[in-house]
Amino acid sequence: MKIFGFFIKRLFLKRWILSLSMLLLLFAANYLTFTVARSISSTYQGYQEMRRMDQDGTYIANLDPDSAPNFDRITLEKTQAVYDYLSDNYTYALYADGFIISLPNDDDIEISLNYISRESYALNQLDLSAGSELYFDYQLNEDEIPVLIGKGLSNAYPVGSTIKISDPVLERPIILKVQGVIKPNAHHSNFYALNSKNYYNFSIFIPVNEEFIKESNIDLHVNALMDMVVLHTTEEDAATLSEYIQNNLGLKFNFFSQEENYDYFKDYYANSLKIIMIITLFLLVIIICLSIWNASTSIRLMLKDFTINLLIGLSFSRLKKILFGYFSILFSVNLIVIAVITAYNRHLFWVNKDTLFVTYGLFGLIGIDWVGLLVVACSDVLIGIVIIEIMLWKIKNIPISLGVLQ
Amino acid sequence: MNHIISLNIKEKSYNSASSPILKDFNLEVCEGEKIAVVGESGVGKSSLLNIIGLIDKHYKGEYVLFGSQTDKLSDKISAKWRNQKIGFVLQEAALINSLSVEDNIKLPLLYADIESRKASLETFESIVNTIGIAHILMKKPHDCSGGERSRVVFARGVIMKPQIILADEPTASLDEENKERIINLLFKMNKEFNATIITATHDLEVARRYDRIIRLERSK
Repeated sequence: MKIFGFFIKRLFLKRWILSLSMLLLLFAANYLTFTVARSISSTYQGYQEMRRMDQDGTYIANLDPDSAPNFDRITLEKTQAVYDYLSDNYTYALYADGFIISLPNDDDIEISLNYISRESYALNQLDLSAGSELYFDYQLNEDEIPVLIGKGLSNAYPVGSTIKISDPVLERPIILKVQGVIKPNAHHSNFYALNSKNYYNFSIFIPVNEEFIKESNIDLHVNALMDMVVLHTTEEDAATLSEYIQNNLGLKFNFFSQEENYDYFKDYYANSLKIIMIITLFLLVIIICLSIWNASTSIRLMLKDFTINLLIGLSFSRLKKILFGYFSILFSVNLIVIAVITAYNRHLFWVNKDTLFVTYGLFGLIGIDWVGLLVVACSDVLIGIVIIEIMLWKIKNIPISLGVLQ
Repeated sequence: MNHIISLNIKEKSYNSASSPILKDFNLEVCEGEKIAVVGESGVGKSSLLNIIGLIDKHYKGEYVLFGSQTDKLSDKISAKWRNQKIGFVLQEAALINSLSVEDNIKLPLLYADIESRKASLETFESIVNTIGIAHILMKKPHDCSGGERSRVVFARGVIMKPQIILADEPTASLDEENKERIINLLFKMNKEFNATIITATHDLEVARRYDRIIRLERSK
């Protein structure tokens, strides 16, 4: 430890520009690795979610980008007619989110109301940390509505408690009863940008049944159509539904099967990921080459220091340990800085009270952040071994007399 | 007398393409001997000292030091012997400029065990007084004269009271007075502690004062 301290304080830090430049180069390599690893990890999570829809006869609605909707033409009667048609002819999963309301809670964060039907609930598999599963056969005008809440609300509204809200889609006050609490950081990925996520920590899941749909306003009807999933149907029937909606509401929806979504994923997203990974790898190689060049410069400038120490009792094995220790410090500093930056960014969501993005985690970091840091740590071991072995090879191959007389 | 060095180098090259720098070279050294190694630049004087000093193990041949086959010594043991049994006295440039004179001299203590460190601290006082550098201990090497730096290098090389002192051109670039001083100090170590001295030098005047002269010639 004494020898290690001597090398760090009296030799390496005396040439602090070399240490700083090495630190910055390794930081660039680490941050790049972290960003890509986290993005891939997040995409994989989204991919797993998408696979839940991987069933024969499942078609997912997607508003045609060329459709020019005229929302003034759409009336409640027309949308209700669409839902009646759906109920009569199809099995469908309804999910609509993004209805923001104010509700007192410990963190003073607005709440997202998410409306979910029985079929969509079965598809989405929300894991609970407390309470029991949602049920849908309640009487809207008589019973308290059972709901699931996010972790952020569980303190203010424990299981069994009631919440009175003015519901934006029913346009009247309703009483909700907390049935269960969703696990922290439960999320929903955007199926067309799999690494983009909304978190449910400050969400309330309201079960939707036919009675609820009938009493809802046009906002829920239209919003839910955007993410509609039709189950146990055929391509022809999905096309018929699309035609029916277009005739009634003037909205052109494409119903994609999961296979088509996979194709989209492969053609667009997977290829984008491949390109990003190739560019990252290329940049990493450049940065590592620069780091090796920096290490070689350090050796040239510190060769006399190394060789004198070798002459008076330093062994190569100890020098190797010292270099590993030195690089461990540099890598640790980088890991800590990346963790702090990431935790700060996540903290900003809390500061800005960003309902859909606030998350919980150890030191403010969530699972995908830790995966990213783990990948960085593993890549650091490899980068460290390469740089240190090259440094030692250089030191061993320069004649001692030249080193001393440098 | 005991042979503390028994060296038989069949071949030493720096790369396979070049001709060997040392070939069929034998050397037996007894305890307390003073040996000068002379020869032109590039004939392998420093290479020989590096091999004797366990710095370089990449050669064909056999080397027995203090009765042990050196090819069987671990990297750790070799380093320990370089710290405690072998002292290197080099040219005046061989100092770490970011450290003070005192820290440069005490550098070998960093690698020593507690007992040796304690003993060497006592040696430190007597050495700096003997060679007259007590007044420059706090200075940095670049603030010292060439002669002073040579004595600092000498002090660092002998602070652990090594059994073998390997001196590589210790008097190069020194004036007559300082040259004399360094040679006398080396001989004093030999006389007082029976240290074996092996010095590589260009200077034949200096070499003639040793017990034995080994002349290296370029191998063909």
